[in-house]
Amino acid sequence: MNSDDLATADPSPNRPAGGILPWRRVALLYAVGLLVTLVPLLLLSRNFFWLNIITYTYLFAGLAVAWNIIAGFGGQFSLGHGVFFAIGAYTTARLFLDWEISPWLGLLPGAIACAVVGPLIFWPTFRLKGSFFAIATLAFNEVALVLANYLESVTGGPRGLQVPFRAAFKNMIFTDPRAYTVLMFVFMAIAVGISIVLMRSRLGYYLLAVREDEDAARAAGISVIQVKLRATALSAALTAIGGGLFAMYIRTIDPLTLFSLPDIGVKFALLSLIGGMGTITGPVLGAFLIIPLESYLRAVFGGSGPGVHLILLGFVMLLAALFMRRGVAGAIDSLRQHWRHRRSA
Amino acid sequence: MSEPFLQVRGAVKRFGGLTAVNDVSFDVRRGEIVSIIGPNGAGKTTLFNLLTGQLKPTAGDVSLNGQVINALPPERRARLGLGRTFQIAKPLLTLTALENAMVGSFLHHSRLHDAEAKAHQMLIEVGLDRRAHVRAAQLTLSERRRLEVARALALEPSLMLLDEVMAGLNQSEVQDSIDLFRRLNGAGLTFLIIEHNLKVVRAFSERVIVIDRGAKIAEGTAEQILTNPEVVTAYLGRRRG
Repeated sequence: MNSDDLATADPSPNRPAGGILPWRRVALLYAVGLLVTLVPLLLLSRNFFWLNIITYTYLFAGLAVAWNIIAGFGGQFSLGHGVFFAIGAYTTARLFLDWEISPWLGLLPGAIACAVVGPLIFWPTFRLKGSFFAIATLAFNEVALVLANYLESVTGGPRGLQVPFRAAFKNMIFTDPRAYTVLMFVFMAIAVGISIVLMRSRLGYYLLAVREDEDAARAAGISVIQVKLRATALSAALTAIGGGLFAMYIRTIDPLTLFSLPDIGVKFALLSLIGGMGTITGPVLGAFLIIPLESYLRAVFGGSGPGVHLILLGFVMLLAALFMRRGVAGAIDSLRQHWRHRRSA
Repeated sequence: MSEPFLQVRGAVKRFGGLTAVNDVSFDVRRGEIVSIIGPNGAGKTTLFNLLTGQLKPTAGDVSLNGQVINALPPERRARLGLGRTFQIAKPLLTLTALENAMVGSFLHHSRLHDAEAKAHQMLIEVGLDRRAHVRAAQLTLSERRRLEVARALALEPSLMLLDEVMAGLNQSEVQDSIDLFRRLNGAGLTFLIIEHNLKVVRAFSERVIVIDRGAKIAEGTAEQILTNPEVVTAYLGRRRG
Protein backbone atom coordinates (compact mmCIF):
# COMPACT_ATOMS: atom_id res chain seq x y z
CA MET A 1 0.00 0.00 0.00
CA ASN A 2 1.46 3.28 -1.08
CA SER A 3 0.84 5.94 1.53
CA ASP A 4 0.54 8.61 -1.12
CA ASP A 5 -2.52 6.77 -2.41
CA LEU A 6 -3.94 6.74 1.10
CA ALA A 7 -3.45 10.44 1.52
CA THR A 8 -5.43 11.19 -1.60
CA ALA A 9 -7.98 8.38 -1.25
CA ASP A 10 -10.61 10.59 0.29
CA PRO A 11 -11.41 13.81 -1.52
CA SER A 12 -13.94 14.91 1.11
CA PRO A 13 -13.15 18.04 3.11
CA ASN A 14 -13.46 16.02 6.33
CA ARG A 15 -9.85 15.05 6.27
CA PRO A 16 -8.07 17.19 8.84
CA ALA A 17 -5.17 14.91 9.66
CA GLY A 18 -4.22 13.63 6.23
CA GLY A 19 -2.46 10.38 5.54
CA ILE A 20 0.81 9.16 6.92
CA LEU A 21 3.52 10.93 4.99
CA PRO A 22 6.49 9.07 3.56
CA TRP A 23 9.74 9.56 5.47
CA ARG A 24 11.48 11.73 2.90
CA ARG A 25 8.72 14.32 2.88
CA VAL A 26 8.56 14.46 6.67
CA ALA A 27 12.33 14.84 6.95
CA LEU A 28 12.33 17.60 4.36
CA LEU A 29 9.42 19.43 5.98
CA TYR A 30 10.99 19.48 9.42
CA ALA A 31 14.45 20.28 8.11
CA VAL A 32 13.03 23.37 6.43
CA GLY A 33 11.14 24.24 9.63
CA LEU A 34 14.28 23.97 11.73
CA LEU A 35 16.24 26.08 9.27
CA VAL A 36 13.59 28.78 9.59
CA THR A 37 14.20 28.84 13.34
CA LEU A 38 17.85 29.61 12.56
CA VAL A 39 16.87 32.94 10.99
CA PRO A 40 16.75 34.91 14.26
CA LEU A 41 20.25 33.66 15.09
CA LEU A 42 21.60 34.90 11.77
CA LEU A 43 19.85 38.26 12.05
CA LEU A 44 20.76 38.99 15.64
CA SER A 45 24.11 37.31 15.99
CA ARG A 46 25.85 40.61 16.74
CA ASN A 47 23.49 41.70 19.46
CA PHE A 48 24.52 39.90 22.66
CA PHE A 49 21.31 40.77 24.51
CA TRP A 50 19.18 39.05 21.87
CA LEU A 51 21.72 36.29 21.27
CA ASN A 52 21.38 35.24 24.91
CA ILE A 53 17.60 35.18 24.56
CA ILE A 54 17.80 33.11 21.38
CA THR A 55 20.15 30.67 23.09
CA TYR A 56 17.63 30.19 25.91
CA THR A 57 14.82 29.88 23.38
CA TYR A 58 16.52 26.98 21.60
CA LEU A 59 17.38 25.30 24.90
CA PHE A 60 13.87 25.61 26.29
CA ALA A 61 12.31 24.60 23.00
CA GLY A 62 14.33 21.37 23.23
CA LEU A 63 13.34 20.91 26.87
CA ALA A 64 9.65 21.50 26.13
CA VAL A 65 9.86 18.96 23.29
CA ALA A 66 11.40 16.46 25.75
CA TRP A 67 8.67 17.10 28.32
CA ASN A 68 5.99 16.79 25.67
CA ILE A 69 7.02 13.17 24.97
CA ILE A 70 5.53 11.83 28.19
CA ALA A 71 3.15 14.69 28.99
CA GLY A 72 1.80 15.66 25.58
CA PHE A 73 1.85 12.37 23.69
CA GLY A 74 1.45 10.16 26.75
CA GLY A 75 -0.97 12.41 28.65
CA GLN A 76 1.06 12.20 31.89
CA PHE A 77 1.19 15.83 32.99
CA SER A 78 4.48 15.84 34.88
CA LEU A 79 5.54 18.84 36.94
CA GLY A 80 8.58 16.93 38.22
CA HIS A 81 10.85 17.28 35.21
CA GLY A 82 12.91 19.83 37.13
CA VAL A 83 14.37 16.82 38.96
CA PHE A 84 15.75 15.35 35.72
CA PHE A 85 16.95 18.77 34.61
CA ALA A 86 18.83 19.17 37.90
CA ILE A 87 20.30 15.64 37.83
CA GLY A 88 21.67 16.37 34.36
CA ALA A 89 23.08 19.75 35.44
CA TYR A 90 24.73 18.46 38.62
CA THR A 91 26.13 15.32 36.97
CA THR A 92 27.72 17.16 34.06
CA ALA A 93 29.16 19.93 36.26
CA ARG A 94 30.35 17.57 39.00
CA LEU A 95 32.12 15.21 36.58
CA PHE A 96 33.84 18.17 34.96
CA LEU A 97 34.87 19.75 38.27
CA ASP A 98 36.08 16.59 40.02
CA TRP A 99 37.54 14.49 37.23
CA GLU A 100 37.86 16.93 34.34
CA ILE A 101 35.53 14.72 32.32
CA SER A 102 34.59 16.59 29.16
CA PRO A 103 30.95 17.76 29.33
CA TRP A 104 30.45 16.23 25.88
CA LEU A 105 30.82 12.87 27.62
CA GLY A 106 29.53 14.13 30.95
CA LEU A 107 26.07 14.68 29.45
CA LEU A 108 25.62 10.93 29.04
CA PRO A 109 25.83 9.67 32.66
CA GLY A 110 23.17 12.19 33.69
CA ALA A 111 20.95 11.10 30.81
CA ILE A 112 21.43 7.42 31.64
CA ALA A 113 20.80 8.07 35.34
CA CYS A 114 17.53 9.83 34.48
CA ALA A 115 16.49 7.06 32.11
CA VAL A 116 16.68 4.79 35.19
CA VAL A 117 15.59 7.16 37.97
CA GLY A 118 12.71 8.67 35.97
CA PRO A 119 10.79 5.41 35.50
CA LEU A 120 11.61 4.37 39.09
CA ILE A 121 10.15 7.48 40.72
CA PHE A 122 7.22 7.76 38.31
CA TRP A 123 6.28 4.09 38.62
CA PRO A 124 4.26 4.42 41.86
CA THR A 125 2.83 7.73 40.64
CA PHE A 126 1.40 6.33 37.41
CA ARG A 127 -1.50 4.91 39.40
CA LEU A 128 -2.69 8.49 39.80
CA LYS A 129 -4.66 10.23 37.08
CA GLY A 130 -4.74 13.79 35.77
CA SER A 131 -4.11 16.55 38.26
CA PHE A 132 -3.33 14.04 41.04
CA PHE A 133 -0.39 12.80 38.99
CA ALA A 134 0.71 16.39 38.36
CA ILE A 135 0.62 17.22 42.07
CA ALA A 136 2.53 14.06 43.03
CA THR A 137 5.29 14.84 40.52
CA LEU A 138 5.37 18.42 41.78
CA ALA A 139 6.12 16.94 45.20
CA PHE A 140 9.15 15.13 43.73
CA ASN A 141 10.50 18.50 42.66
CA GLU A 142 10.13 19.92 46.17
CA VAL A 143 11.67 16.86 47.84
CA ALA A 144 14.60 17.01 45.44
CA LEU A 145 15.08 20.72 46.22
CA VAL A 146 15.42 19.90 49.94
CA LEU A 147 17.79 17.03 49.19
CA ALA A 148 19.95 19.19 46.91
CA ASN A 149 20.27 21.81 49.64
CA TYR A 150 21.20 19.13 52.15
CA LEU A 151 23.68 17.05 50.11
CA GLU A 152 26.46 19.59 50.11
CA SER A 153 29.18 17.13 49.09
CA VAL A 154 27.43 16.48 45.78
CA THR A 155 25.53 19.65 44.95
CA GLY A 156 27.52 22.22 46.84
CA GLY A 157 24.43 22.84 48.97
CA PRO A 158 22.62 26.19 48.76
CA ARG A 159 25.74 27.92 47.45
CA GLY A 160 25.78 25.63 44.45
CA LEU A 161 28.55 24.76 42.01
CA GLN A 162 30.70 27.14 40.01
CA VAL A 163 32.34 25.98 36.80
CA PRO A 164 35.49 28.04 36.16
CA PHE A 165 35.77 29.74 32.79
CA ARG A 166 38.39 27.67 30.94
CA ALA A 167 37.54 28.14 27.29
CA ALA A 168 38.15 25.07 25.14
CA PHE A 169 36.03 23.02 22.81
CA LYS A 170 36.52 19.89 24.92
CA ASN A 171 35.38 21.83 28.01
CA MET A 172 32.24 23.01 26.21
CA ILE A 173 33.19 26.52 27.26
CA PHE A 174 33.41 29.10 24.48
CA THR A 175 34.53 32.71 24.25
CA ASP A 176 32.19 33.30 21.33
CA PRO A 177 28.60 33.25 22.68
CA ARG A 178 27.34 32.20 19.25
CA ALA A 179 28.84 28.76 19.87
CA TYR A 180 26.36 28.21 22.71
CA THR A 181 23.53 29.32 20.49
CA VAL A 182 24.50 26.75 17.88
CA LEU A 183 24.88 24.13 20.61
CA MET A 184 21.34 24.73 21.90
CA PHE A 185 20.01 24.77 18.36
CA VAL A 186 21.51 21.32 17.77
CA PHE A 187 19.97 20.11 21.05
CA MET A 188 16.55 21.37 19.93
CA ALA A 189 16.97 19.77 16.50
CA ILE A 190 17.89 16.42 18.06
CA ALA A 191 14.92 16.57 20.43
CA VAL A 192 12.58 17.34 17.54
CA GLY A 193 14.16 14.55 15.48
CA ILE A 194 13.62 12.05 18.30
CA SER A 195 9.99 13.16 18.58
CA ILE A 196 9.44 12.63 14.87
CA VAL A 197 10.96 9.15 14.92
CA LEU A 198 8.98 8.31 18.06
CA MET A 199 5.66 9.37 16.56
CA ARG A 200 6.27 7.18 13.53
CA SER A 201 6.97 4.15 15.74
CA ARG A 202 4.86 1.62 17.57
CA LEU A 203 5.74 3.22 20.92
CA GLY A 204 4.47 6.59 19.67
CA TYR A 205 1.10 5.18 18.62
CA TYR A 206 0.85 3.23 21.86
CA LEU A 207 1.54 6.42 23.84
CA LEU A 208 -1.37 8.16 22.11
CA ALA A 209 -3.59 5.14 22.75
CA VAL A 210 -2.67 5.17 26.46
CA ARG A 211 -3.40 8.90 26.64
CA GLU A 212 -6.80 8.52 24.99
CA ASP A 213 -8.12 5.43 26.78
CA GLU A 214 -6.19 2.98 28.93
CA ASP A 215 -8.83 0.25 28.77
CA ALA A 216 -8.99 0.43 24.99
CA ALA A 217 -5.18 0.36 24.90
CA ARG A 218 -5.09 -2.80 27.03
CA ALA A 219 -7.66 -4.44 24.82
CA ALA A 220 -5.28 -3.78 21.91
CA GLY A 221 -2.55 -5.77 23.67
CA ILE A 222 -0.72 -2.73 25.03
CA SER A 223 1.02 -2.93 28.39
CA VAL A 224 0.07 0.51 29.68
CA ILE A 225 2.69 0.71 32.41
CA GLN A 226 5.50 -0.40 30.11
CA VAL A 227 4.61 2.26 27.55
CA LYS A 228 4.53 4.97 30.21
CA LEU A 229 7.86 3.87 31.69
CA ARG A 230 9.64 3.78 28.34
CA ALA A 231 8.40 7.21 27.37
CA THR A 232 9.40 8.53 30.80
CA ALA A 233 12.92 7.16 30.34
CA LEU A 234 13.25 8.89 26.97
CA SER A 235 11.73 12.16 28.17
CA ALA A 236 13.81 12.23 31.38
CA ALA A 237 17.08 11.42 29.58
CA LEU A 238 16.56 14.24 27.06
CA THR A 239 15.67 16.63 29.88
CA ALA A 240 18.89 15.69 31.69
CA ILE A 241 20.93 16.52 28.59
CA GLY A 242 19.22 19.91 28.50
CA GLY A 243 20.14 20.37 32.17
CA GLY A 244 23.78 19.54 31.46
CA LEU A 245 23.91 22.08 28.62
CA PHE A 246 22.27 24.67 30.85
CA ALA A 247 24.94 24.08 33.52
CA MET A 248 27.76 24.59 31.03
CA TYR A 249 26.11 27.72 29.64
CA ILE A 250 25.52 29.65 32.85
CA ARG A 251 28.35 27.90 34.78
CA THR A 252 26.74 28.64 38.15
CA ILE A 253 24.08 26.25 39.34
CA ASP A 254 22.28 26.23 42.66
CA PRO A 255 19.16 24.47 43.93
CA LEU A 256 16.90 27.52 43.80
CA THR A 257 17.64 28.00 40.10
CA LEU A 258 17.43 24.35 39.06
CA PHE A 259 14.28 23.51 41.00
CA SER A 260 12.53 26.81 40.35
CA LEU A 261 8.97 26.05 39.34
CA PRO A 262 8.19 29.16 37.25
CA ASP A 263 11.57 29.07 35.49
CA ILE A 264 12.12 25.31 35.07
CA GLY A 265 9.66 22.63 36.23
CA VAL A 266 6.41 24.35 35.33
CA LYS A 267 7.90 26.29 32.43
CA PHE A 268 8.29 23.14 30.30
CA ALA A 269 4.57 22.53 30.74
CA LEU A 270 3.67 26.15 30.10
CA LEU A 271 5.61 26.39 26.84
CA SER A 272 3.99 23.21 25.55
CA LEU A 273 0.53 24.32 26.63
CA ILE A 274 0.86 27.66 24.88
CA GLY A 275 2.36 26.10 21.77
CA GLY A 276 0.14 23.03 21.65
CA MET A 277 0.55 19.88 23.72
CA GLY A 278 0.82 16.52 22.01
CA THR A 279 2.12 17.94 18.75
CA ILE A 280 5.70 17.92 17.51
CA THR A 281 5.85 21.61 16.62
CA GLY A 282 3.76 22.95 19.52
CA PRO A 283 6.45 23.02 22.22
CA VAL A 284 8.89 24.73 19.82
CA LEU A 285 6.31 27.37 18.87
CA GLY A 286 5.54 27.91 22.56
CA ALA A 287 9.21 28.49 23.37
CA PHE A 288 9.65 30.88 20.45
CA LEU A 289 6.66 32.88 21.61
CA ILE A 290 7.14 32.94 25.37
CA ILE A 291 10.89 32.95 26.03
CA PRO A 292 11.69 36.08 23.95
CA LEU A 293 8.51 37.81 25.15
CA GLU A 294 9.29 37.08 28.78
CA SER A 295 12.91 38.17 28.46
CA TYR A 296 11.94 41.32 26.60
CA LEU A 297 9.25 42.24 29.13
CA ARG A 298 11.66 41.58 31.97
CA ALA A 299 14.23 43.88 30.39
CA VAL A 300 11.78 46.66 29.57
CA PHE A 301 9.57 46.61 32.65
CA GLY A 302 12.05 45.17 35.15
CA GLY A 303 12.96 48.70 36.21
CA SER A 304 9.40 49.94 36.70
CA GLY A 305 8.70 47.54 39.56
CA PRO A 306 9.31 43.93 40.49
CA GLY A 307 7.03 41.46 38.74
CA VAL A 308 5.47 43.86 36.22
CA HIS A 309 6.74 41.67 33.38
CA LEU A 310 5.15 38.64 35.05
CA ILE A 311 1.77 40.40 35.19
CA LEU A 312 1.98 41.11 31.46
CA LEU A 313 3.13 37.58 30.72
CA GLY A 314 0.29 36.21 32.82
CA PHE A 315 -2.13 38.28 30.77
CA VAL A 316 -0.78 36.79 27.52
CA MET A 317 -1.19 33.31 28.95
CA LEU A 318 -4.72 34.09 30.07
CA LEU A 319 -5.57 35.12 26.51
CA ALA A 320 -4.00 31.94 25.19
CA ALA A 321 -5.96 29.82 27.66
CA LEU A 322 -9.19 31.54 26.66
CA PHE A 323 -8.81 31.70 22.89
CA MET A 324 -6.32 28.99 21.95
CA ARG A 325 -7.32 25.91 23.90
CA ARG A 326 -5.17 23.67 21.71
CA GLY A 327 -2.29 26.08 21.68
CA VAL A 328 -0.72 27.86 18.73
CA ALA A 329 -0.29 24.57 16.82
CA GLY A 330 -3.98 23.80 17.39
CA ALA A 331 -5.04 27.26 16.27
CA ILE A 332 -2.99 26.92 13.06
CA ASP A 333 -4.58 23.51 12.48
CA SER A 334 -8.07 25.01 12.89
CA LEU A 335 -7.24 27.84 10.49
CA ARG A 336 -5.98 25.36 7.92
CA GLN A 337 -9.14 23.30 8.22
CA HIS A 338 -11.25 26.42 7.90
CA TRP A 339 -9.33 27.45 4.80
CA ARG A 340 -9.62 23.98 3.28
CA HIS A 341 -13.38 24.01 3.89
CA ARG A 342 -13.78 27.35 2.17
CA ARG A 343 -11.67 26.26 -0.75
CA SER A 344 -13.68 23.08 -1.29
CA ALA A 345 -17.04 24.81 -0.74
CA MET B 1 -10.78 -28.82 15.58
CA SER B 2 -13.58 -29.87 17.89
CA GLU B 3 -11.74 -29.57 21.20
CA PRO B 4 -12.89 -26.52 23.18
CA PHE B 5 -11.06 -23.32 22.30
CA LEU B 6 -12.43 -21.21 25.11
CA GLN B 7 -13.37 -23.15 28.20
CA VAL B 8 -15.18 -21.77 31.25
CA ARG B 9 -15.40 -24.08 34.25
CA GLY B 10 -17.41 -23.22 37.36
CA ALA B 11 -16.76 -19.51 37.04
CA VAL B 12 -17.88 -17.52 40.07
CA LYS B 13 -17.63 -13.78 40.65
CA ARG B 14 -18.71 -12.23 43.92
CA PHE B 15 -18.76 -8.55 44.79
CA GLY B 16 -19.01 -8.62 48.60
CA GLY B 17 -22.32 -10.35 49.32
CA LEU B 18 -23.53 -10.15 45.73
CA THR B 19 -22.89 -13.12 43.48
CA ALA B 20 -22.91 -11.71 39.97
CA VAL B 21 -21.76 -14.87 38.23
CA ASN B 22 -22.59 -18.17 39.90
CA ASP B 23 -20.93 -21.40 38.80
CA VAL B 24 -21.12 -20.90 35.05
CA SER B 25 -19.52 -23.46 32.71
CA PHE B 26 -19.50 -23.56 28.94
CA ASP B 27 -17.24 -24.20 25.96
CA VAL B 28 -16.69 -22.41 22.71
CA ARG B 29 -15.17 -24.46 19.90
CA ARG B 30 -13.09 -23.11 17.05
CA GLY B 31 -15.13 -21.56 14.28
CA GLU B 32 -18.35 -21.31 16.29
CA ILE B 33 -20.63 -18.35 16.82
CA VAL B 34 -21.95 -18.46 20.38
CA SER B 35 -24.26 -15.93 21.96
CA ILE B 36 -24.82 -15.17 25.60
CA ILE B 37 -28.23 -13.70 26.31
CA GLY B 38 -30.12 -12.84 29.44
CA PRO B 39 -32.29 -10.11 30.95
CA ASN B 40 -30.80 -6.87 32.29
CA GLY B 41 -28.67 -7.42 35.36
CA ALA B 42 -28.32 -11.15 34.71
CA GLY B 43 -24.52 -10.96 34.94
CA LYS B 44 -23.71 -11.06 31.22
CA THR B 45 -21.27 -8.18 31.31
CA THR B 46 -19.60 -9.48 34.48
CA LEU B 47 -19.15 -12.85 32.78
CA PHE B 48 -17.80 -11.07 29.71
CA ASN B 49 -15.31 -9.17 31.86
CA LEU B 50 -14.07 -12.46 33.34
CA LEU B 51 -13.25 -13.53 29.78
CA THR B 52 -11.52 -10.29 28.78
CA GLY B 53 -9.49 -10.04 31.97
CA GLN B 54 -11.15 -6.86 33.18
CA LEU B 55 -12.16 -8.92 36.25
CA LYS B 56 -10.61 -11.99 37.88
CA PRO B 57 -12.92 -14.86 38.87
CA THR B 58 -13.52 -15.50 42.59
CA ALA B 59 -13.52 -19.22 41.79
CA GLY B 60 -13.41 -21.44 38.72
CA ASP B 61 -11.24 -21.34 35.62
CA VAL B 62 -11.18 -19.63 32.26
CA SER B 63 -8.90 -21.31 29.73
CA LEU B 64 -7.95 -20.42 26.21
CA ASN B 65 -6.49 -23.12 24.03
CA GLY B 66 -5.93 -25.33 27.07
CA GLN B 67 -4.07 -22.60 29.00
CA VAL B 68 -5.65 -21.28 32.19
CA ILE B 69 -5.77 -17.51 31.82
CA ASN B 70 -7.49 -16.49 35.08
CA ALA B 71 -4.65 -14.28 36.22
CA LEU B 72 -3.68 -12.78 32.86
CA PRO B 73 -4.37 -9.05 32.41
CA PRO B 74 -6.36 -7.91 29.34
CA GLU B 75 -3.27 -7.01 27.28
CA ARG B 76 -1.80 -10.49 27.68
CA ARG B 77 -5.10 -12.04 26.60
CA ALA B 78 -5.17 -9.77 23.57
CA ARG B 79 -1.72 -11.06 22.61
CA LEU B 80 -3.03 -14.64 22.93
CA GLY B 81 -5.56 -13.87 20.21
CA LEU B 82 -8.51 -12.47 22.08
CA GLY B 83 -10.10 -9.43 20.44
CA ARG B 84 -12.92 -7.52 22.09
CA THR B 85 -15.25 -4.57 21.72
CA PHE B 86 -16.64 -2.45 24.52
CA GLN B 87 -20.34 -2.04 25.25
CA ILE B 88 -19.83 1.71 25.11
CA ALA B 89 -17.43 2.14 22.19
CA LYS B 90 -14.04 3.50 23.21
CA PRO B 91 -12.65 5.27 20.15
CA LEU B 92 -9.32 7.07 20.60
CA LEU B 93 -10.94 10.43 19.96
CA THR B 94 -8.07 12.64 18.79
CA LEU B 95 -6.71 9.94 16.48
CA THR B 96 -8.02 9.38 12.97
CA ALA B 97 -9.94 6.23 12.11
CA LEU B 98 -6.85 4.86 10.40
CA GLU B 99 -4.65 5.61 13.41
CA ASN B 100 -7.20 3.94 15.68
CA ALA B 101 -6.97 0.76 13.64
CA MET B 102 -3.17 1.06 13.56
CA VAL B 103 -3.08 0.93 17.35
CA GLY B 104 -4.44 -2.58 16.86
CA SER B 105 -2.38 -3.63 13.85
CA PHE B 106 0.92 -2.63 15.50
CA LEU B 107 0.56 -5.75 17.67
CA HIS B 108 1.73 -7.97 14.81
CA HIS B 109 3.31 -5.39 12.48
CA SER B 110 6.06 -3.35 14.07
CA ARG B 111 6.86 -1.31 10.94
CA LEU B 112 4.81 1.83 10.34
CA HIS B 113 3.79 1.17 6.77
CA ASP B 114 2.97 -2.49 7.40
CA ALA B 115 0.76 -1.48 10.32
CA GLU B 116 -0.83 1.20 8.15
CA ALA B 117 -1.55 -1.25 5.32
CA LYS B 118 -3.11 -3.78 7.69
CA ALA B 119 -5.18 -1.07 9.40
CA HIS B 120 -6.42 0.24 6.08
CA GLN B 121 -7.42 -3.26 5.06
CA MET B 122 -9.47 -3.57 8.28
CA LEU B 123 -11.17 -0.23 7.61
CA ILE B 124 -12.19 -1.53 4.19
CA GLU B 125 -13.49 -4.67 5.88
CA VAL B 126 -15.85 -2.67 8.13
CA GLY B 127 -16.65 -0.09 5.44
CA LEU B 128 -14.85 2.85 7.01
CA ASP B 129 -12.08 3.32 4.46
CA ARG B 130 -13.60 6.52 3.09
CA ARG B 131 -13.44 7.95 6.60
CA ALA B 132 -9.85 6.80 7.22
CA HIS B 133 -8.47 10.29 7.81
CA VAL B 134 -11.33 11.63 9.88
CA ARG B 135 -10.75 12.00 13.60
CA ALA B 136 -12.70 9.46 15.63
CA ALA B 137 -14.35 12.32 17.53
CA GLN B 138 -16.18 13.27 14.32
CA LEU B 139 -17.51 9.78 13.61
CA THR B 140 -21.16 8.83 14.16
CA LEU B 141 -22.20 6.27 16.73
CA SER B 142 -22.46 3.46 14.20
CA GLU B 143 -19.13 4.42 12.65
CA ARG B 144 -17.54 4.36 16.11
CA ARG B 145 -18.84 0.86 16.66
CA ARG B 146 -17.44 -0.28 13.34
CA LEU B 147 -14.14 1.40 14.19
CA GLU B 148 -14.09 -0.56 17.43
CA VAL B 149 -14.52 -3.75 15.44
CA ALA B 150 -11.78 -2.69 12.99
CA ARG B 151 -9.32 -2.03 15.83
CA ALA B 152 -10.08 -5.42 17.37
CA LEU B 153 -9.81 -7.17 13.98
CA ALA B 154 -6.46 -5.50 13.36
CA LEU B 155 -5.10 -7.54 16.27
CA GLU B 156 -5.67 -10.57 14.04
CA PRO B 157 -7.50 -12.38 16.84
CA SER B 158 -8.66 -15.97 16.79
CA LEU B 159 -11.59 -15.27 19.12
CA MET B 160 -13.73 -12.13 19.01
CA LEU B 161 -15.73 -11.10 22.05
CA LEU B 162 -18.46 -8.63 21.12
CA ASP B 163 -20.36 -6.80 23.85
CA GLU B 164 -23.74 -5.61 22.50
CA VAL B 165 -22.06 -4.39 19.38
CA MET B 166 -25.41 -3.95 17.61
CA ALA B 167 -27.03 -1.71 20.23
CA GLY B 168 -28.15 1.61 18.83
CA LEU B 169 -27.76 0.55 15.19
CA ASN B 170 -30.61 0.75 12.70
CA GLN B 171 -31.97 -2.22 10.73
CA SER B 172 -29.66 -1.95 7.75
CA GLU B 173 -26.63 -1.34 9.92
CA VAL B 174 -27.48 -4.42 11.96
CA GLN B 175 -27.77 -6.42 8.75
CA ASP B 176 -24.41 -5.08 7.53
CA SER B 177 -22.80 -6.09 10.80
CA ILE B 178 -24.31 -9.57 10.66
CA ASP B 179 -23.01 -9.97 7.11
CA LEU B 180 -19.55 -8.80 8.19
CA PHE B 181 -19.40 -11.21 11.12
CA ARG B 182 -20.67 -14.10 9.00
CA ARG B 183 -17.99 -13.37 6.41
CA LEU B 184 -15.26 -13.26 9.08
CA ASN B 185 -16.63 -16.42 10.63
CA GLY B 186 -16.41 -18.07 7.23
CA ALA B 187 -12.73 -17.12 7.19
CA GLY B 188 -12.24 -19.00 10.47
CA LEU B 189 -12.81 -16.39 13.20
CA THR B 190 -14.63 -17.63 16.32
CA PHE B 191 -17.26 -15.37 17.91
CA LEU B 192 -18.66 -15.06 21.38
CA ILE B 193 -21.24 -12.32 21.53
CA ILE B 194 -23.34 -10.76 24.22
CA GLU B 195 -26.57 -9.63 22.69
CA HIS B 196 -29.82 -8.21 23.87
CA ASN B 197 -31.57 -8.24 20.53
CA LEU B 198 -33.17 -11.69 20.16
CA LYS B 199 -33.71 -11.18 16.42
CA VAL B 200 -29.97 -10.77 15.96
CA VAL B 201 -29.33 -13.85 18.06
CA ARG B 202 -31.77 -15.88 15.96
CA ALA B 203 -30.28 -14.68 12.68
CA PHE B 204 -26.73 -15.09 13.65
CA SER B 205 -25.71 -17.58 16.30
CA GLU B 206 -25.29 -21.29 16.12
CA ARG B 207 -25.47 -21.78 19.84
CA VAL B 208 -27.06 -19.71 22.59
CA ILE B 209 -26.28 -19.66 26.29
CA VAL B 210 -28.86 -18.09 28.59
CA ILE B 211 -27.82 -16.44 31.83
CA ASP B 212 -30.26 -15.40 34.53
CA ARG B 213 -29.38 -14.12 38.00
CA GLY B 214 -25.77 -15.06 37.46
CA ALA B 215 -26.38 -18.70 36.54
CA LYS B 216 -26.61 -20.51 33.24
CA ILE B 217 -30.24 -21.62 32.84
CA ALA B 218 -30.20 -22.99 29.31
CA GLU B 219 -28.01 -23.76 26.33
CA GLY B 220 -28.93 -24.85 22.83
CA THR B 221 -29.71 -23.70 19.31
CA ALA B 222 -31.48 -20.40 18.88
CA GLU B 223 -34.78 -22.15 18.07
CA GLN B 224 -34.60 -24.38 21.12
CA ILE B 225 -33.78 -21.49 23.36
CA LEU B 226 -36.43 -19.08 22.19
CA THR B 227 -39.15 -21.63 22.80
CA ASN B 228 -37.77 -22.80 26.15
CA PRO B 229 -40.37 -21.90 28.83
CA GLU B 230 -37.71 -21.16 31.44
CA VAL B 231 -36.08 -18.64 29.12
CA VAL B 232 -39.41 -17.04 28.29
CA THR B 233 -40.11 -16.72 32.01
CA ALA B 234 -36.72 -15.14 32.66
CA TYR B 235 -37.30 -12.56 29.95
CA LEU B 236 -41.05 -11.85 30.30
CA GLY B 237 -41.75 -12.82 33.89
CA ARG B 238 -44.09 -15.53 35.20
CA ARG B 239 -47.70 -15.63 34.03
CA ARG B 240 -49.92 -14.67 36.93
CA GLY B 241 -53.30 -16.16 37.95
